[in-house]
Amino acid sequence: MNGLHLFLDFGATILTVIASITPIVVFFIVFQLIYLKLPWRYLARMFVGIALAVGGIALFLQGVKAGFTPAGNEIGIALGQITQKWLLIPFGLLMGFLVAFGEPAVRVLGDQVESASGGSIKKNIVVYGISVSVSLFVGLGMARIVFGIPLNYIVIPGYLLAIALLFVTDKTTVSIAFDSGGVATGPMAVTFLLAVAVGITSSIGGRDPVADGFGLIALIALAPILFIMLAGLFIKIKLKRRGDNDGNG
Amino acid sequence: MLKELRNVTFEVLQAILPITIAVIALNVLFIRMPLVVLLQFIFGALMVMCGMILFLLGVRLGILPMGEALGSELPRRKFLPYILAIAFLIGFSVTVAEPDVMVLSDQVHTISNGGIPNTLLVAVIAIGVGFFIAMSILRISLGFSIKYLLAAGYAIIIILSFFAPEQFIPVAFDSGGVTTGPVTVPVILALGLGFTSVLGGRSKLGDGFGLIGLASIGPVIGIMLLGVILY
Repeated sequence: MNGLHLFLDFGATILTVIASITPIVVFFIVFQLIYLKLPWRYLARMFVGIALAVGGIALFLQGVKAGFTPAGNEIGIALGQITQKWLLIPFGLLMGFLVAFGEPAVRVLGDQVESASGGSIKKNIVVYGISVSVSLFVGLGMARIVFGIPLNYIVIPGYLLAIALLFVTDKTTVSIAFDSGGVATGPMAVTFLLAVAVGITSSIGGRDPVADGFGLIALIALAPILFIMLAGLFIKIKLKRRGDNDGNG
Repeated sequence: MLKELRNVTFEVLQAILPITIAVIALNVLFIRMPLVVLLQFIFGALMVMCGMILFLLGVRLGILPMGEALGSELPRRKFLPYILAIAFLIGFSVTVAEPDVMVLSDQVHTISNGGIPNTLLVAVIAIGVGFFIAMSILRISLGFSIKYLLAAGYAIIIILSFFAPEQFIPVAFDSGGVTTGPVTVPVILALGLGFTSVLGGRSKLGDGFGLIGLASIGPVIGIMLLGVILY
């Protein structure tokens, strides 16, 4: 098992995660001492939770790094060698959905939206909305790799469309849409999907794998922003039409 | 607690099994990965599942309450500039040590041929996030719409993208996505929701969200500005 060593640097991973959360925890402790003065029992529970989350995310990251990334790279290299390049697009559609579906932060956002809305916006709507939109844009990202379309041709019109949609969408949908863009790009996308993309571009050849691979994250971040605002707009128009019909008769 | 563990376990299986099965199916149907890679993948998938169960439990038990405690304490400090300074510090401190930011700063170090020191880049990204978290808190306090902030932020990005050196653009766009990692997200989410929950006349749903979306803009602007100024 020469791949085993990849799992053995878990110590380094957990140290990185601990380092990443330390500043905010220190900040919290200062706040606790000066202002919050929360009861000790409550604090103890909170710190157990933080420790669980740190251990959990370290395991998750290590699993993705040591297990998913090498497999992703193999898949990418194999896909780059197939003669019918258009097959990359349906593959991108599938992988985009599955990657967003497995992203931990997407679940956390879904939970928070469901509880803040008192259950009227279901968690699954958020999770599926993000996954479907990421699916479409990873498909688009694959098309970009196949046809060599510059990133700017997609991202700049996308950003302009996002600005335009802002003014015709209600603010709750806007907030959730932009937050979704932030959570869609988690460790699954950034490490696993990027490994697939880099594998593809390196075996297609003639392209700069780094530059091609990069834009994928930008596309994944943009996807739910556009899709969720469009969906919100669609629902608004539909409700309005139904309302008008009710009013008329 | 036991019921929650069962629910979370079920949810994680539902989240991770589809991609696991898809990769194994791809392997069986037409890509023959080396056996070692396949075994590594299966072992990795098990780690991912266990890790995500612990993470989701820990987020609910510890990280969300921490963010919410910070957020709901903020409005009690009456002096707005002080509140904004604290909000800035929170945004700065959740980002400054985020592992993905380190990876990104290495990449920028490479594309600039070592012209941009890593610490400068990390500082720029963290300041970008801190600034937009403070702006979000200002917006919620004064009650103006999130749309203006988002529109202004995106317009600045589009304008800068015409002036920034070409090799900076993909990295800048990616930076917005990677800075909001799994540790940052729950802290910032809970911060916004906690802050709105104690302010009168704000809806949790309408005003409490959007901080992550805004926080993603800061680093993009920051990196493009670096490119414009230095090149």
